[in-house]
Amino acid sequence: MSEKILYGYTGLFDSPDSITHAAEKAASKGYKKFDVHTPYPLHGMNKAMKLPTSKLGYVSLVVGLSSALAAVLAMFWISAKDYPIVIGGKPLFSFPAYVPVIFEVTVLSASIATVLTMLLIFFKLPNNGHPLHGTEYMKNVAVDKYGILIQAEDEKFNEADVKKFLEECGAVNISPVYFDEEEINHKHKILEPKFIGFLLLTALFTSGISYLTLNKLLYLPPFDWMMEQEKLNPQSTSTIFADGFGMRKPVEGTVARGYLPYAFKGQPEAAGENLVNPLPVSKSVLELGQKKFDVYCSPCHGYHGEGESRLRGQFPNPPSLHSEKVRTWSDGRIFHVITDGQNIMPSYSTQLTAEEKWAAVHYIRVLQRALNAKESDLQ
Amino acid sequence: MSSIHNAEYQKRELPKKIQTIGLILFGVGLLAVILGYVQDSTRAAFNNIILYVFLASIGLGSLFLVAVEYLSGAVWSTPFRRIPEFLSALLIVLPFVLIPVFSNMSHIFHWMHPEVVSADKILQSKAPYLNSTFFIIRTAAFIFLWLVFYFFIIKNSKKQDASGDQSLTKKNIKISAVFMPVFAITISFTAIDWLMSLEPHWFSTILGVYYFSGSVLAGLAAATIIIVMLNENGYLVNGLNSNHYYSLGALLFAFTNFWAYIAFSQFMLIWYANLPEETFWFLQRWEGTWIIFTIGLIFVRFVIPYFGLLSQPSKMNPKRLLVMSCWILFAHWYDMYWLAMPNYSKDGVLFGWIELGFVLFAIGLVMLLFNQLAKKNNLVAIKDPKLQRGIDFRL
Amino acid sequence: MSVVDYTKELSVIEGKPPLRSLDDLISKPLETKPDKKFYIALSITLSMLGLFVIGLGLTFWYGIGMWGNNNPVGWAFDIVNFVFWVGIGHAGTLISAILFLFRQKWRTGIARFAEGMTIFAVMTAMLFPLIHVGRPWLDGWLLPYPNQHGIWTNFTSPLLWDVFAVSTYFTVSLIFWYVGLIPDFAVLRERTSGKVKKLTYSIFSLGWRFSNRHWNHYEMVYLILAGFATPLVLSVHTIVSFDFAVSIMPGWHTTIFPPYFVAGAVFSGFAMVQNVLLIIRKIFNYEHIITVDTLDKMNKIMLVTGSMVGYAYAMEFFIAWYSGVEAEQFTFVNRAFGPYAWAYWIMVSCNVISPQLFWIKKIRRSVPVMFVIAVFVNVGMWFERFVIVVSSLSRDYLPSSWAYYKPTYVDFMILIGSFGFFFTFILLFTKALPVVSLAEVKAVVDGAQPSHKDH
Repeated sequence: MSEKILYGYTGLFDSPDSITHAAEKAASKGYKKFDVHTPYPLHGMNKAMKLPTSKLGYVSLVVGLSSALAAVLAMFWISAKDYPIVIGGKPLFSFPAYVPVIFEVTVLSASIATVLTMLLIFFKLPNNGHPLHGTEYMKNVAVDKYGILIQAEDEKFNEADVKKFLEECGAVNISPVYFDEEEINHKHKILEPKFIGFLLLTALFTSGISYLTLNKLLYLPPFDWMMEQEKLNPQSTSTIFADGFGMRKPVEGTVARGYLPYAFKGQPEAAGENLVNPLPVSKSVLELGQKKFDVYCSPCHGYHGEGESRLRGQFPNPPSLHSEKVRTWSDGRIFHVITDGQNIMPSYSTQLTAEEKWAAVHYIRVLQRALNAKESDLQ
Repeated sequence: MSSIHNAEYQKRELPKKIQTIGLILFGVGLLAVILGYVQDSTRAAFNNIILYVFLASIGLGSLFLVAVEYLSGAVWSTPFRRIPEFLSALLIVLPFVLIPVFSNMSHIFHWMHPEVVSADKILQSKAPYLNSTFFIIRTAAFIFLWLVFYFFIIKNSKKQDASGDQSLTKKNIKISAVFMPVFAITISFTAIDWLMSLEPHWFSTILGVYYFSGSVLAGLAAATIIIVMLNENGYLVNGLNSNHYYSLGALLFAFTNFWAYIAFSQFMLIWYANLPEETFWFLQRWEGTWIIFTIGLIFVRFVIPYFGLLSQPSKMNPKRLLVMSCWILFAHWYDMYWLAMPNYSKDGVLFGWIELGFVLFAIGLVMLLFNQLAKKNNLVAIKDPKLQRGIDFRL
Repeated sequence: MSVVDYTKELSVIEGKPPLRSLDDLISKPLETKPDKKFYIALSITLSMLGLFVIGLGLTFWYGIGMWGNNNPVGWAFDIVNFVFWVGIGHAGTLISAILFLFRQKWRTGIARFAEGMTIFAVMTAMLFPLIHVGRPWLDGWLLPYPNQHGIWTNFTSPLLWDVFAVSTYFTVSLIFWYVGLIPDFAVLRERTSGKVKKLTYSIFSLGWRFSNRHWNHYEMVYLILAGFATPLVLSVHTIVSFDFAVSIMPGWHTTIFPPYFVAGAVFSGFAMVQNVLLIIRKIFNYEHIITVDTLDKMNKIMLVTGSMVGYAYAMEFFIAWYSGVEAEQFTFVNRAFGPYAWAYWIMVSCNVISPQLFWIKKIRRSVPVMFVIAVFVNVGMWFERFVIVVSSLSRDYLPSSWAYYKPTYVDFMILIGSFGFFFTFILLFTKALPVVSLAEVKAVVDGAQPSHKDH
């Protein structure tokens, strides 16, 4: 067995008063590297050990103030510069409304920073390899004893003196503490495969989680001003309907507005006798009629109804609407031709509603009258 | 331990100069007040209201602190409980302070003019509450209630100086418990009557709490000034140290924050909701030079005391504590001025010899009153059962 | 009538027990197998938790249309439960931070437990904003982070402040709790002999050595954290109250809301702590650690905060009349005498009237009575939030849209389930961690501190 390395000497006390005295004595004797271990903090111990007041308050102050400033700047940049939107009529930079967030950020960062500074930097924790761990001494001071430790590192350390000093103070269970051999010989190897593997796994895990969160879970589709919409365009196919068509036929037995079924199909004379133009002759009706005539009738019959379109000269020649026959037809008879078609003229039922057809009939009458005006019209 | 260990307290006369300075300040102040009323009675009456709410703050705040000590069983403040007890004697002078106001009321409260009320639907709806008769009854009733509690609590405390009877402490605990709800209601309605109704169209449910937070601060600051000065010159009991100072400082610090919290809550909610029937009150305080005064309030009442008392050593340092308490007391006057004065001087801040006169009057009055009480009574509750524990108090 | 001797400080822990026996007593639940009672309790809370899971499953699958929320009551049980649970958490921070700053030693027996309740209550509360958005997987959008659209959150929105406040509150409470637990983990580490347990405790104790050079900083940090937690706890319920009060809704927009909400939160929190504590105290035989004196003081705090809440109700009512604003006046009359009058009067009788019984000393010190009153207070405080939210919304400015809100069975499943969620954590906590702080309790046993004779 190799020689053990001494860490220090420990002694135990039973009462808070005696440990306070021992600490005072140790401090006044000039020991620097000594420590007192108690199950709970003792009042006045800092004074007895001559410990300075903790400086951790400054960590809180500095971190707190700087994170408050950072919060203000961040919100200023976000709300007034990068993404300026007026909300509720408030100015872009609305300081009172930022106070809650500033406060929360300050408290959060200052608390975390203070605690981490204390644990990691001041205490150098976690440290489960300290020589005191696993000793009887530690078992006692954890529960109800008050212990003092004088480290071998101290300049004034001398085994015999320290033993004597502890005895004088009235300590019991005076015992040496040695460094743990394994702990001394143990070397942390940064390039250990296990450690590297662990780092790699951690990196993979965190990057994977971040990727999935940001790009899948919280993905915001880029904004394209509604160029792509979740709707069906005419003639496109659809998987929803069994027949695969995107466009649908009207439900059976229903009639669309303005498209009542025509009662005189194939009965031109009956139509001529029974149908009466329901529309009055008014400016708006005639304008509608003109519009529909110009769109649907003029390609063959011409703008003036004389058959003067570019189809003239082909076979069959588009007929003029000013013939004696047409002029003497009743409105219903003309309506029938538009609705049912005649010779090679197709039906215009799908293009024109009944109202539009009647308006077109009125317009045809206007054209006829313009070419064959009566004497009375000229007055 | 069972027998009361008599603390080492030797009653000493306060120096003569306190009375002299007090008399001078009081005399100069009184002269300015009278001249002020002669020259501009409305302006003087407004200042008189500030004086009233300011003195009521100190008196009530102090009585509140005494009651809280009894109720919470706190010991650290027992060695100097007499100081707030003396300060609460200000409640006795309140009726006299109000006399000139009552003769000028209609200049201040425009809801007292029948012709204004008859032309204003909102004021008509408030008339059952805001009318001169009920107003005077309320004010008198409140002051009467305060005085009742003042006399009972103080009487028991003084009695104990002679007998050391522990049951007196118990009695005072019971009285204090009853005082609390009375205090909460009366102080809120004092704020509504004397501060909110200056602008009778405005309303804010938090104003009572706002005035309460300021009052506790004022009472505490006034007491701290006297405690530090007396203790540093050895007029109080031996053994008071940084632990006691720290506790005072911590309370001042805590209530400074509390005031800021309440004031911010009030501003924030009104600013955010932006309802014209509420915002106009703040907009009045944004007119002309008032804007500087209003922004100044944030610094005077919060930022400066906050950083002045933030660190642990600053709460333990008697000099710093003294300076900050004086500042906080000044800030309370500043705050009361800010609440009341924009209703009189709409264009901007107004400060002249009239305002100064009222301040001097207040300081002189407090000094004289304190000196008078200190002559007759012990400065320490010498046989209070909690006294020794209070002296031994460690954080 | 017993005469109190005011010259002596009251003992916090009864009977000056040896320190080792405190360790034994407090760590007993951790070292023994759970008994039948524990399993019965756990099965009850787990069944309630099951209801929670089903309720949430229905909500996520079919959407929040499963709830009773509908125009004009767009906010109902979800926000009521949120505010209720956040409020429950406030007592823990008040006990551990504010009473610490006021040097109230009696807090030590209950502080750890109350802090634990804070954490679980805030966890429960946090669920509600997360589920009420209907698509809980998109909750990340609540946070300001650089994203594909280049858009940011709205920093002037009180709902965003909630995100910051509640998450900060949770984190800081957790840190506070853990810092307090470190020395206790070290005690457990020294006590245990089991290998796995020892390893676990070693890891969590971070190798704490009870060094006074550490205690020095440790106490400072505890003070600083208490100093942070105190304004923090105020800010959290203040911000929750801003959710309502920054709006222009009659009955919501009133300046007293922030302190009123904080008082209410502390009030309900103390009631919940009282309820759970009375049970824990009985089961684990902590009668001399959590003494009747401690319970008495808690009842006094309930009396104070309950009266504050009563003050706020009255002040709101008075100012509503005083303001001369018709909508405000109507809202308050409607609250007390409208369709939700039943809820209003439950609230008033539970919150304002029942705690007034604590004026009587006998009632303050009677365990069964205080238990019942605490239950009343919890019920009352839940109804307070219900009254505020629902009565204002159901009859707002537009009479044509008025409607009576009725919760659905899913609402009730989630409400009951939230209790299951909370109590399951509480039960596991009592078996996994010391519910009383070992180091703090030892420090306040009579004779545990050096006498200051030499000073």
